[in-house]
Amino acid sequence: MDTIVAVSTPPGRSAIAVVRLSGAESLEILRALVRQEEFAPEPNRVVLKSLLINDDVLDQCLVTYFRAPHSFTGEDMVEISCHGSPVVLRQLIDLIQSYDARLAEPGEFTLRSCRNGKMNLSQAEAIRDLISAQTRAAAVQATRQLRGELAEALEPSKHELVRVIVVLESAIEFVEDDLPSVQLDEIRKTLQRLVVDLSRLADTYKAGHLLRDGIRVAIVGRPNVGKSSLFNKLLGFERAIVTDVAGTTRDSLTESISLQGIPVSLTDTAGFREAGDKIEAIGIERTRRAMADADLLVLVLDGSCSLQDEDQEILKAAGEQAFVVAINKTDLPQLANMNDHLNGAKVVHVSALTDEGIPELTAAILEPFGSLDSDSVGLLITDSRHHDLLARAKISLEGAARSMDQAAGEEIVLADLHNALRFLGAITGETTSEQILGEIFSTFCIGK
Amino acid sequence: MIMAFDEAFDVLVIGGGHAGCEAASASARLGATTALLTLNLDLIGQMSCNPAIGGIAKGHLVREIDALGGIMGRVIDRTGIQFRLLNRSRGPAVQSPRAQADRALYRLEMRKTLENTPNLSLRQGMVVDLLTPNNKVRGVVMQDGRRIGAKAVVIAAGTFLNGLIHTGRRTYGAGRAGEPASLELAETLKRLGLPVGRLKTGTPPRLDGRTIDWDLFQSQQADERPVAFSFSTDKIEQPQIDCYIGYTTSRVHEAIRKNLHESPLYSGQIKGVGPRYCPSIEDKVVKFAEKDRHQLFLEPEGHDTNEVYLNGFSTSLPAGLQQELVRMIPGLESANIIRPGYAIEYDYVDPRELGPDLQVRRIAGLFHAGQINGTTGYEEAGCQGLLAGINAARLVQGHTRFALRREESYIGVLVDDLITQGVDEPYRIFTSRAEYRLAFRHDNADERLSKYGREVGLVGDGEWERFNKRRDRIAKIKSALRTTRIRQSDAAYLALAEKIGLNGVESITLEDLAKRAGVTSVIISQLLPAETRAGGSLEEIESALADNLYSGYIRSQENVIHRLHGHDTLPIPIGLDFRTVNGLSHEMAERLERAKPVTFGAARRIPGLTPAALVTLLVNVNVGV
Repeated sequence: MDTIVAVSTPPGRSAIAVVRLSGAESLEILRALVRQEEFAPEPNRVVLKSLLINDDVLDQCLVTYFRAPHSFTGEDMVEISCHGSPVVLRQLIDLIQSYDARLAEPGEFTLRSCRNGKMNLSQAEAIRDLISAQTRAAAVQATRQLRGELAEALEPSKHELVRVIVVLESAIEFVEDDLPSVQLDEIRKTLQRLVVDLSRLADTYKAGHLLRDGIRVAIVGRPNVGKSSLFNKLLGFERAIVTDVAGTTRDSLTESISLQGIPVSLTDTAGFREAGDKIEAIGIERTRRAMADADLLVLVLDGSCSLQDEDQEILKAAGEQAFVVAINKTDLPQLANMNDHLNGAKVVHVSALTDEGIPELTAAILEPFGSLDSDSVGLLITDSRHHDLLARAKISLEGAARSMDQAAGEEIVLADLHNALRFLGAITGETTSEQILGEIFSTFCIGK
Repeated sequence: MIMAFDEAFDVLVIGGGHAGCEAASASARLGATTALLTLNLDLIGQMSCNPAIGGIAKGHLVREIDALGGIMGRVIDRTGIQFRLLNRSRGPAVQSPRAQADRALYRLEMRKTLENTPNLSLRQGMVVDLLTPNNKVRGVVMQDGRRIGAKAVVIAAGTFLNGLIHTGRRTYGAGRAGEPASLELAETLKRLGLPVGRLKTGTPPRLDGRTIDWDLFQSQQADERPVAFSFSTDKIEQPQIDCYIGYTTSRVHEAIRKNLHESPLYSGQIKGVGPRYCPSIEDKVVKFAEKDRHQLFLEPEGHDTNEVYLNGFSTSLPAGLQQELVRMIPGLESANIIRPGYAIEYDYVDPRELGPDLQVRRIAGLFHAGQINGTTGYEEAGCQGLLAGINAARLVQGHTRFALRREESYIGVLVDDLITQGVDEPYRIFTSRAEYRLAFRHDNADERLSKYGREVGLVGDGEWERFNKRRDRIAKIKSALRTTRIRQSDAAYLALAEKIGLNGVESITLEDLAKRAGVTSVIISQLLPAETRAGGSLEEIESALADNLYSGYIRSQENVIHRLHGHDTLPIPIGLDFRTVNGLSHEMAERLERAKPVTFGAARRIPGLTPAALVTLLVNVNVGV
């Protein structure tokens, strides 16, 4: 396997940057960099070294050598912590490439780790999630998956399923043996319990995927109700241009923020009204799209004026979507009757000017998504593939239970049970027929 | 090198057991001059262990052998003295025929069948050496010095390879009780560099039927409507007998426990691995100590003998002790053992050395079939013999190799398991080994496999015509099931509604009606139009119903397997050195190297292969090669 190199810290100027090498030549390249042919660093031990280029010292660095297979990728690896100057980094990477290493493709370190059996697929997926985690809560979930918690959490269910399969298989295969009779009621109960357990886990995906991908929130309303001011307030800095000219925001603007540890992708939209010109028309079309894509709308009204036709129209456009009404401008005299028109929708009174009601708005935005914020939340499914597999396993189990209710033969019930096991196996690793037979022979005394 | 031979054939088959008989018959009938070499011509087709053919999944194998044009099904149909369809109360896919044979009749019928096969010669003698210059089979050397030339050799030597019998602390070399072991041939295989291991199996004592108190056992009768193994059998002619069921007692168990030190199994004397599903009585008593009785079957060995097989009491305890233990069993208080039980250890060759045609990969023209591949059972042996015999003849005749896929037959499952996963214990077929169990019924083996038998050349014109007619009749029945409706105005409706409750539906097709609980094939047959009913037997109606019953499940199962194992059919380049695959750990590469999978599906089923290793292989082979 050839040796790959990459700067593992984000681009730009920083105090320290980390360069990583992986592959059989890693140590040789390090020796060349420090100009010591005999350099034999103790694995996993950090040492201070000068890296040389054309007899000049390029940088003083901390270097660590990891010996295969005890490294992240399972190959020989070297990590160099140097000073985070883009110039130094470029020279260093060029130099390393001249020593027969190549730039790593995106994700290649993880891929190698996967190939070398250092982690399974779901762990690799977790690493991807961990790297791209935008908030602490998402990182906690990714870490849990990295530890193999999903496979672990499924183990008891899988075990129970195998037990049921063993009993039914034995009844088919060893008809001439003196086996205890099959307790159908017990099997029914077990299947019900498994369906409940798997559903519970699969249902965490709703929360889990929001944790990973973030909640998409769009701020909508007619022009000049203060959408961009609220957007800036939630963001914590002046991102959108704010004027008192109606229709200042012409295009949608999206920023990622963390609200109480939950990643939220917040979109400011162009005001909703009859378009004045072509550009505005495009902007309003984008608003419609942002609304359709959002998990939740923040519908902004101006508390100092009465409800306009355009407001009503937006309320209608929101349709079945989840939304929160923010009645803005509490710093101005308020018209009292606005709530009457909102059919019991969740309403928060805010002032983008004075910050009044902003914490309440934050809470109202997160409320429909349940409590995602703390580390105390159990394991969540964050991956759509896992969700799909769990849902299918559940459907197969329900099919098996239905077959039992219709007094179908064991082989038909088993067809669904084996399917369920295959789906779970795609998450946790396969159960072979040999393992099932082994379980049968250790449970029952088989054989004439 | 010029070799002088006393005789020469296209194909030689070493061993006259169940694998050897099928191999020799198939090879000869395909036009290859063939000789069957056996230690004793009088023991061709001998049933070394229990006198029965079939059983769950095993019965399927026999019907598959028959559909392909093999002989086992016909021979047992002519010599079976107790036919029973197992799992009759369960779904059609897991029903399987079993028949107890008249041991002597079976043997004679098999020999007669082989003697009447053109191109087939029988030769008595022991093979001591294989001639394989340049890793190519040229012939064999016999113990008496004869040299016999051949282009292909099938080894089907059963338990004879380096066989070692244990009874108590005594051991002696033997292939079966009373027959010599084949020691030189075992040495030859080692010399050729083939990986050889040890397995163990056992057999129970045989009793003198006149000394059994039959009244103390519960009788088990043959089926009134026997289901034959062969698709060409019209009627089972042998008179049918009863078998008997009894039980051991805790007194027997205590005595065994007290004498475990006498058992070669527990003294460490036996090194070979025995089958878990066919445990000795010692094993049963030790591993399932909580059971206070174990089931026994008394199986008469034939019409003209008093010998009775004590099924369930396999043992390698000393013969004298066996006699004492037997007499502790209720009903056997005065029973005499006429042949003691024993355990036998024998050599097998790692079947991962074989290709799907059962040819040893590194020696052209050498085929292995039966227990040499680590299997147990007459049916498992027979189907391998058939496959090896077909391929030996095809090799000689310059045809492509013939293999069966695991998606279409139990034979395919068995061979694929053997050559990709190897064996840790004697391998027996089970229905649960097949992913597509619902599609593999004993009664549709012809539908699945006769076309291959025909293509290869083993299914003759008569059988082929018979098969086509049967298939047409079943198709007609299926069409009638779809189109025939029972309406409220029909006379049959009221009776049906009373019996199974129709909830006042206006009308229902027979196909849908059949899926309801309580509707038997007999009821359906009575509702079919008279001309359809007249054209087909009840068995054929049942086949049609079974096709309908499972079709939906089979489709959904195919979808699931395709979704999850979509890469299974992707080929892995033959000859790929897995140690050169980037990123595979040493251990994973070794596992792959030993199994030499030719598809990803085969690789996936290698025990201990991690999902990560599979992904690595997939990435590398897809991208890199």
